[in-house]
Amino acid sequence: MRRTVIILRRNPLSLLGAVLVAAVVLSAVLADYIAPFPEHRGSVVDFVYFNQGPTARNLMGTDLVGRDLFSRILYAFRISLILGVVVLAIAPPIGTLVGLFAGYLGGRTEFVLMRLTDVFLSIPPLVLAIAMMGVLEPTLMNAMLAVTAMWWPWYARLVYNIARSEREEGYVLAAEVIGASTLHITLREILPNCLPAIITKMTLDMGFVIIIASSLSFLGLGVQPPTPDLGSMVAEGARYLPDSWWLTVFPGLAILIAVFGFNLIGDALREILGADQ
Amino acid sequence: MTPLLSLRHVSKTFGTGPRAVHAVRDVSFDVTQGECLAVVGESGSGKTTLANMILGVFGQSSGEIWFDGKGLPTRRTLEHRSAIQLVQQNPLSSLNPKRSVGASIRLGLDVFGIGTRSDRWRLVENSLEEVGLPGDFRRRPPAALSGGQCQRVAIARALACQSRLVILDEPTSALDVLVQARVLRLLEDLRRVKGLSYVFITHDLSVVRNVADRVAVFRAGELVECAQTRAIFEDPQMDYTRQLIGAVPVIADEELKLRESLSGGLPA
Amino acid sequence: MSEVLAIRDLFLRFRGYSGVSEVLHGISLDIRAGERVALVGESGSGKSVTARIVLGLLQELPSAQVEGGLFFEGEDLNGLSRRQWQALRGTSISMIFQDPTSSLNPVFTIGTQFAEVLRRRDPKLSREAADERASTLLQSVSIHDHARVLGAYPFQLSGGMNQRVVIAMALANHPSLLIADEPGTALDVTVQAQTLKLMHELVEQSGTAVFFISHNLGVVREFADRVFVIYRGRIVEQGPTPAIFENPGHAYTRALMAAVPRITGGGLPDLNDSEAAFLEPMVVHEGGDA
Repeated sequence: MRRTVIILRRNPLSLLGAVLVAAVVLSAVLADYIAPFPEHRGSVVDFVYFNQGPTARNLMGTDLVGRDLFSRILYAFRISLILGVVVLAIAPPIGTLVGLFAGYLGGRTEFVLMRLTDVFLSIPPLVLAIAMMGVLEPTLMNAMLAVTAMWWPWYARLVYNIARSEREEGYVLAAEVIGASTLHITLREILPNCLPAIITKMTLDMGFVIIIASSLSFLGLGVQPPTPDLGSMVAEGARYLPDSWWLTVFPGLAILIAVFGFNLIGDALREILGADQ
Repeated sequence: MTPLLSLRHVSKTFGTGPRAVHAVRDVSFDVTQGECLAVVGESGSGKTTLANMILGVFGQSSGEIWFDGKGLPTRRTLEHRSAIQLVQQNPLSSLNPKRSVGASIRLGLDVFGIGTRSDRWRLVENSLEEVGLPGDFRRRPPAALSGGQCQRVAIARALACQSRLVILDEPTSALDVLVQARVLRLLEDLRRVKGLSYVFITHDLSVVRNVADRVAVFRAGELVECAQTRAIFEDPQMDYTRQLIGAVPVIADEELKLRESLSGGLPA
Repeated sequence: MSEVLAIRDLFLRFRGYSGVSEVLHGISLDIRAGERVALVGESGSGKSVTARIVLGLLQELPSAQVEGGLFFEGEDLNGLSRRQWQALRGTSISMIFQDPTSSLNPVFTIGTQFAEVLRRRDPKLSREAADERASTLLQSVSIHDHARVLGAYPFQLSGGMNQRVVIAMALANHPSLLIADEPGTALDVTVQAQTLKLMHELVEQSGTAVFFISHNLGVVREFADRVFVIYRGRIVEQGPTPAIFENPGHAYTRALMAAVPRITGGGLPDLNDSEAAFLEPMVVHEGGDA
């Protein structure tokens, strides 16, 4: 605990990260109460205030159909975070199990599991997602599916490498000599030693998932209108640069803040958990 | 009296054809109940391969291993696993850094079904006390222990499993000399009180002189010489044994005299 | 008599997560020209950090505070710039570490690494001339098939062979001080004994002073002229090797000696656990001018 406090104090950037992430999470959770125009998350048309720069009424201006950008960004955070949490709740466990068994068992298991991982890793992530979204319907659900499919192999690689080196440690031999089961050795002995690296990677990945999700919707493959999404907001606004700059700048800044925050926290966690893998 | 452990013409070859490595060749020896047999050799002598075969980590290529009058299969029964235990060289790595030392000791009790569920933590504490550590050390992570304490925990783990034969794989070579003296003393006391048998693998001949009943000298997978400890040091039969003794760094004059009397000297 | 290395009242503190911890509590030590001096102690006693300070490696760490006098051939080492330290290391001060194989770079041949070492002193040395000098040096450590060794990578050679190479490299630039931190501990006993004997002969011929760091009393007895015993960051006893071994004066030194098992037998030692006595004041044996 003391160590944590000292690391945080020595590294003020991690504190900034915590503040940024807290702000993003809070605005996503409390969007209903903070947003000046909660109804603007859906299809609302307001031709009185359309396409206006920042004013006291609309802090970040309004979009082409007159919706308040600030409100929509708050709701877009919610979508991004849900996407990130769902992807990071599915991909790491799958990848971790694959990596653990491949790394500990070796031999044929390792060959099959890791070549499968390599196949997924060899496809450029965006191409895979675009292909999947082309076959499936472009819904939020499918966007999550696509991102998850390209995400788990990275965890498989990470955990595989740690498990392979841990396999040589004396405590694994000790458990084998006692006759502990493979499940015990992988899940109870080796996994705890992989957790710091996994948790650190998950925090860093939160930012990357947000970027990938935004890229997908930027290409029109992710979240569909009228649901607010940072990526599609940037895409839409890009056509009206530089005159209607607020349409791209504010959603872009929102992406930046979220990604930056999670990265800073990830770096701090790496140091606190001592996961320099 | 039947020996506790018997190896008969045991060999181990890794790989096949021209690339085959003969790690252990045609080795036979016995360890009786309550005996400490030192297995001495330099790197590549096959010491660790030998230990792994006795422990059942992998099987021998040919030959037989007998324990307590019965042939040992490669796939060990629970009974055999609990009877033959291991203490490793590196005290820190032999305990899982993410688990309490108590959990590491308890694993054996759970696997072998020793004691009742509610009783096991008490058994863990007992075994810690047997190696001179307070019972409440079981809650500590290995990082909170010194090297010597970790090694005591590893010994406690073997005791908790009710083992009869302990393979000691360089148990003190990572320890400071003062700590080494205490751990050796503990091992010696436990052997006397519990009637344990040891296969003491080491490269340190001065330790061997003071703890072993008999010594088996290995070189390149072969048993070079096997005799009573006193005989090995006072009247070694083989040149290689002389060389090994001649290379031991010593601190006392009478030790120098012994070394010179063997006059094996160092090879050029 | 000129002193190659003089350490005066050296303190080392680390700023860590749990505040400042003092690792060296003011140690003083001197090594005269051509003398072999051992610093012996257990792990964590501060012997390896002392070597690292003499090499100027710890001073670069932001968390380390080094205080005290540090003189090499009469020159004050405190306040040397990073570049000046680098110029000193590998030329006037050289070093040998515990594991010879890992202290050589696995991706370059021995010949390439040798040339690099020789160019520290003589930057314009051609590769041919370097190979020639290296061959002579390898011969001095009893390596006779030097052509093969120079063309080999470290992992193609045995540990003992690498150790000889490392010794030859360390002495290549005629350093006045050689720092040996647990040399050969990673090697087999017979190989260790051979290489120590070799190193002993070579430094005697070249008149190089050696600062020898070890935990092994037997090795120290066979190698060193004078011994400093260190316990928890304090020198507890110092003197000529025979005096220390025949008549250890400090409780800690006596405990260490008693704890070493003898090849003449006699059973395991009984240790009286009076660690309080280990903090008694320093014992100094006079004499031992080499």
